[in-house]
Amino acid sequence: MADSDRVEVPPAPEAAAISPHVDSSVVASHRTRRNLGPMIWAALIVFGAGWIAIQVLRNGLGTSGNVPQFIIITLGSVSLAALFFLAAVGLTLIFGLMRVVNMAHGSLYLLGGYCAWALTTKMGVDWWLAALIAMLSVGVLGLVMEQAFLRWNLGQDLRQALITIAISVILADQMLANFGAMPSVLPTPTALAQPFQLGLYNLSYSSFRLFVIGMALAIGLLLWLWIQRTRFGMVIRAGIDDRAMASALGVNVQVVFAIAFFAGSCLAALSGVLGGTMLSLAPGQDVAFLTSSIVVVIIGGMGSLGGAALGAALLAFVETYSGVYLPQNLAPYSMVVTFLLVAAVLAVRPQGLFARAER
Amino acid sequence: MGSRSKVFVLSTITALVVVLSGCSGNAPSTAPVTAPPVTAAPVGTAPGTAAPTVTVAPVGTAPGTTAPSTEPLKIGVLAICGGPFATYQLEAFLGAKFALLNLAGGTSAGQGPEDGVLNATIAGRPVQLYWGCSDATPDAAVAQARLLVEQQHVDILLGPESGDEGVAIANYAKTQPGVTFINGTSGAQITTLQVQAPNFFRFGGDGAQWMAGVGTYAYKVLGWKKMSILAEDYSYPYTLAAGVIAEFCSEGGQVTQRTYVPLSTADWSSYVAQIPSDVDGTLLLTGGTNTTNVLAAYKQLGGDPSKKMLGGSSVMDPTSFVTGDSLVGMAGGSPVPQGSTDATWTAWVNAIQNVYPSVPAQSLFTVIYYNGMQAIIEAMTKVNGDLSNNHAAFNQALSSLTPTFPNGKITLDANRNANIPAYVTQFVKDASGNLSFNVLKTVSEVDETFGGLFSATSPAPGRDQPVCQAGTPPPWAANF
Repeated sequence: MADSDRVEVPPAPEAAAISPHVDSSVVASHRTRRNLGPMIWAALIVFGAGWIAIQVLRNGLGTSGNVPQFIIITLGSVSLAALFFLAAVGLTLIFGLMRVVNMAHGSLYLLGGYCAWALTTKMGVDWWLAALIAMLSVGVLGLVMEQAFLRWNLGQDLRQALITIAISVILADQMLANFGAMPSVLPTPTALAQPFQLGLYNLSYSSFRLFVIGMALAIGLLLWLWIQRTRFGMVIRAGIDDRAMASALGVNVQVVFAIAFFAGSCLAALSGVLGGTMLSLAPGQDVAFLTSSIVVVIIGGMGSLGGAALGAALLAFVETYSGVYLPQNLAPYSMVVTFLLVAAVLAVRPQGLFARAER
Repeated sequence: MGSRSKVFVLSTITALVVVLSGCSGNAPSTAPVTAPPVTAAPVGTAPGTAAPTVTVAPVGTAPGTTAPSTEPLKIGVLAICGGPFATYQLEAFLGAKFALLNLAGGTSAGQGPEDGVLNATIAGRPVQLYWGCSDATPDAAVAQARLLVEQQHVDILLGPESGDEGVAIANYAKTQPGVTFINGTSGAQITTLQVQAPNFFRFGGDGAQWMAGVGTYAYKVLGWKKMSILAEDYSYPYTLAAGVIAEFCSEGGQVTQRTYVPLSTADWSSYVAQIPSDVDGTLLLTGGTNTTNVLAAYKQLGGDPSKKMLGGSSVMDPTSFVTGDSLVGMAGGSPVPQGSTDATWTAWVNAIQNVYPSVPAQSLFTVIYYNGMQAIIEAMTKVNGDLSNNHAAFNQALSSLTPTFPNGKITLDANRNANIPAYVTQFVKDASGNLSFNVLKTVSEVDETFGGLFSATSPAPGRDQPVCQAGTPPPWAANF
């Protein structure tokens, strides 16, 4: 007989209503049900990895096999993940801290890119300086936006969503009027223009994309240090956990929000500059990157840096690998796999993989 | 200041900013722009006159039995608009409007795409234009067509612009016998080859016809024996590919890989990495941002687009110039003779650039919408404005039309699809160092069946169709 003191109380309500004595087999089935989600995840990952490994190693490890292609594709996914991370980390901070769904986030991404494009192509400014100027000016714009439109209606989610949607439409239209509808590409900085020799299989890869990976790692690390190791970071974490309590304890919540919004907007603009150099800038990219940032935040959890990193990596890898390694007749459904990922996360752990539990 | 009054002030300021930004730039210019007379006008009507003279007796009607109507002629123009499609909207609407300026005595009411045309008349009937905007999806296109046809009561609908939309509109046309539908640029093959709506006319040809000659160019001139395809995943690239595959394979070439990528993919580098190393070249069938992304990724991986790539009709377009000098030397297929020095073509290009400086004149979207409107004008003139009996005389006039468009002379086949000239064009640098085009080869009289390779019972172009098989090359292949 199970000792009622040692047995865990099962989550099923009917069991609690019946009696504290619980059959161990019922307990085991409940534990299995709670572990079912992660078990399915693990099974899918193992299956997916195995499938890809078979495809890649099918023709051996030599240069005529699929391994060189796999390396290029993987580097592509990692650089794409880096871009998604930089685009989404601002959103997750703002989302986690202020509970504001900033639907203008994608427009800030595109605006940052276009500003840098105008500076480099029309005014001959050096890429690095242009990136810095674009980042800071769009950061200031984001700050102004927050102070003017979002400060007085905290907590009113629908209102804030509508306001930021309106701002995104206005910005998108003005960018269309000023920069035209044809796609634009930022010139790669000369220091990174030459391909980087990988030393394996005679492969070379774009130095700029490798730089983007490095940039994401560096910024991720700096943000982690800021949030985990500084006093201000502690205030941010407290605000994410429980805003009302933090305010009650004397934290100037408005200043924290302003700084977070500025930082988030700067990062969005920076990712726009990087995306504009690595991919391209065009009307419609704002919506595309807003969508991917929201997906990353959903997967990783609001307010979590590690979650944003993991979410970005998952999204980029699933998107890229499914496009390439799905069997031929399923290839058109590669987009579906990306959203299956989101559905799976929402079904198993709706608050996101790394989110702290809501209190 | 209390928070409520702060809110009020902020809202007012915001509203003002929105209103001001929205209002600027849309006001029609007060001085109407008149179209300069074009000396090499390709139509049998004198440009600039209000009432074009009738040069050919209308087929099937005794002249003079029906008094010419002076009721307004309502023409709806349907294109894809907004956001990423803004350039396509500009090209379609301005191309259509320019025909009214050039051939129907109209004057421009402004430079914007939806600014109207004043004083245009066709066969004595004043023209009223209605604009329809869709988003490259069949549902939106049919909804807009319904709006124009059933609520605005347009007599003629010019459009749609995108491949998938055309099939839906052609099917819708069958339910509206009292309206005439002239295709815009939608290029899916089955729109005319299979749907065969009696009141749907395509004066621009389908996407496969646009690529005529490319397959033979690859096989005979470039010496390719194996090709791969990298394309967007919808009906227009399927049709573009069908034209190249049918021609290339009929001569003995092989297509070893076909990669169709979802339209919304941002990062094409992994698909570019998948291009096999043992093919002689790749056929690229993308448009807009996707072309830029592919070519950037291709260059980054060390590929040379000028030697190892051929472009589809949306690649061979001014919108690709942003990719830069690596394009120079790359060839592809196009329905318009970009870069041609032909007198008619250059006169037309200069004329439209004069009136609408912002429109890319050498783009197929501009030209083919112009052609559609020109066909409407010519046929209406022939029947003296008579749209009675469900447009019987008008539709008959359209079917028998043999117009000379800026990009060449065409005739219509039994399915009311045009037999067109196609061009193999190439990116070059002009004298001032800017990117431009050059015509490598003109392919005359391309019909929709490709000399028998396609028929109404062939499987519709798709991800696996047509199958690559040897056969009789189309008639123009012998000219290479």
